[in-house]
Amino acid sequence: MITAVELGLIYAIVALGVYLTFRVLNFPDLTVDGSFTTGAGTAGVLIVQGVNPFLATAAAFLAGAIAGLITGLLHTKGNINGLLAGILTMIGLYSINLRIMGASNVPLLGEDTLFTMMYGFVDRGIASIAVLIVVALLFKLVIDWYLHTDTGMALQATGDNELMIRSFAVSTDRQKIYGLMISNGLVAVAGALVAQYQGFVDIQMGIGLILVGLASVIVGQAIFGSRLVIQATFAVLLGAVLYRLAIQFALNAGLNPNDMKLLSALLVIAALLLPQWSGFRRLAKWRRGLGAGGGSAMLTAEGADAAAEAESTPAEEVVEEPAGAPAAEGSGGSAEPGGAGETGQTGQTGQKES
Amino acid sequence: MLTIDQVSKTFFPGTVNERKALVDVSLDMHEGDFVTVIGSNGAGKSTILNTIAGRIPQDHGQVLLAGREISKQKEHQRAARIGRVFQDPMAGTAPNLTIEENLALADRRGAFRGLARAVTRSKRDRFAEELKALELGLENRLKTKVGLLSGGQRQALSLLMATFSRPKVLLLDEHTAALDPQRAALVTRLTKQVVEGQGLTTLMVTHNMNQALEVGNRLIMMHEGRIILDATEAEKRNMTPEDLLHRFSQLKGAALDDKTMLQ
Repeated sequence: MITAVELGLIYAIVALGVYLTFRVLNFPDLTVDGSFTTGAGTAGVLIVQGVNPFLATAAAFLAGAIAGLITGLLHTKGNINGLLAGILTMIGLYSINLRIMGASNVPLLGEDTLFTMMYGFVDRGIASIAVLIVVALLFKLVIDWYLHTDTGMALQATGDNELMIRSFAVSTDRQKIYGLMISNGLVAVAGALVAQYQGFVDIQMGIGLILVGLASVIVGQAIFGSRLVIQATFAVLLGAVLYRLAIQFALNAGLNPNDMKLLSALLVIAALLLPQWSGFRRLAKWRRGLGAGGGSAMLTAEGADAAAEAESTPAEEVVEEPAGAPAAEGSGGSAEPGGAGETGQTGQTGQKES
Repeated sequence: MLTIDQVSKTFFPGTVNERKALVDVSLDMHEGDFVTVIGSNGAGKSTILNTIAGRIPQDHGQVLLAGREISKQKEHQRAARIGRVFQDPMAGTAPNLTIEENLALADRRGAFRGLARAVTRSKRDRFAEELKALELGLENRLKTKVGLLSGGQRQALSLLMATFSRPKVLLLDEHTAALDPQRAALVTRLTKQVVEGQGLTTLMVTHNMNQALEVGNRLIMMHEGRIILDATEAEKRNMTPEDLLHRFSQLKGAALDDKTMLQ
């Protein structure tokens, strides 16, 4: 249980990175499968050589950012499809990771790591979890802050409406590269932390990581909402912990650990399909009704979440909106544009909305 | 201010679909000029705007802005000095960002975008002040996501954003065509207000003959990639929509669509 929460909080940093690309930039970036191990390998090898674990973890960020830079350049300057650019970097990184590590496994037993240092100060349990919560929240706050700066706002707009933000003199190529660098840097830091937590680096440790990130982002935002950036990043953190707890629960229930990847895939599929199911929509509407009728903090929070859903779903959903909307123009008028906007943008929009 | 010098553009050259969108088009606009562009479908109206903005590279010719050649610059580089409003009301704003965030993005046109907070209190006050001029009550909805606004509201906001940082040139691409008559009239009124108020050099493409005659100080008619009529303010004042329609009917192969006829 403690392990699950601790790991969940470390993987929350992966989820924040995946949130930046998948949600903010609307770019499904598969580089993370490789850059996670790159971060772990870079930090692991440096730690074995006696480098301070803080410095080693910072170096992991740089290594990850370089991986993101390569994917970004392939996609923007090389005009390679985003998915393919990510896959190319990911595959290439496998060999690079082996070069960095020198072997397919680097043990960190007996070395000073961030976690041996932490457990020197606090006991494993509530105290260590509290420290990790603070760390995860720090990362979240930095992302929140960045997305509200001038350059972060341009990053958000790049994922939202490329044509528009280009007409305001922003290089969308550059913003995509920035986003991919930060995202992969974060993922690499998480890789470095996981390696130090488990006491070894393994060449396989990044495989399927994109699904862990996606599951955390999608499940977290489905439950806790994503109307505001600060809400979305918080949902992503909780999603990562929930995901880890779900895996732990499945293992305790006697499932074969080898089936975990399949389980992750099924979880993401379920999270993507459920919102399309009409029964789920009725549920969302019912929740919205409660939100409008009630008024307690909890209910209004859910109402806001539902409102965000209404706004991102195509026309028919908005038309169903109860007449509580500000004005006739507000609801009727926005219904048609909503649909038009979706077709007007790139094909990937559909993925973002679901 | 803006000079287009013998610009040509052919789509799908050397194929059966070859289409000459612009044929040696030259146009010289002075500072503060407000030029309206009309023409049949495929006359090259939108192509000329897209060539100036850098969305479509021209085959030959030059585009000069304030004496500087900009033909080689990328779209986002030119955008530092060129404001645009598109036909699609969805195109000019970011739907998942709030009104104030959209305005903050527009406010930094041509300036360095660093790590300063995008929306500060003083900016918010200024945005509210600017929004009041639209008379749509948007100044009270600064934290509303733009995706929740109606098409007319979004287009009015797009116009404000496009002119926010006083661009050298404003390009309007049938920006009232997708709106109902009432909203179109509102956006036309706002356009006149802001262009005349700031003395912006403006190029406006329109389908609407009345609008073309009503606003601006110069009118251009295009046909098959060429400018076939260039009316000064004095000439324009004596023209009626019927005159323009008559000119069109004299052209061979000028297919006016129903929309133009009805307006």
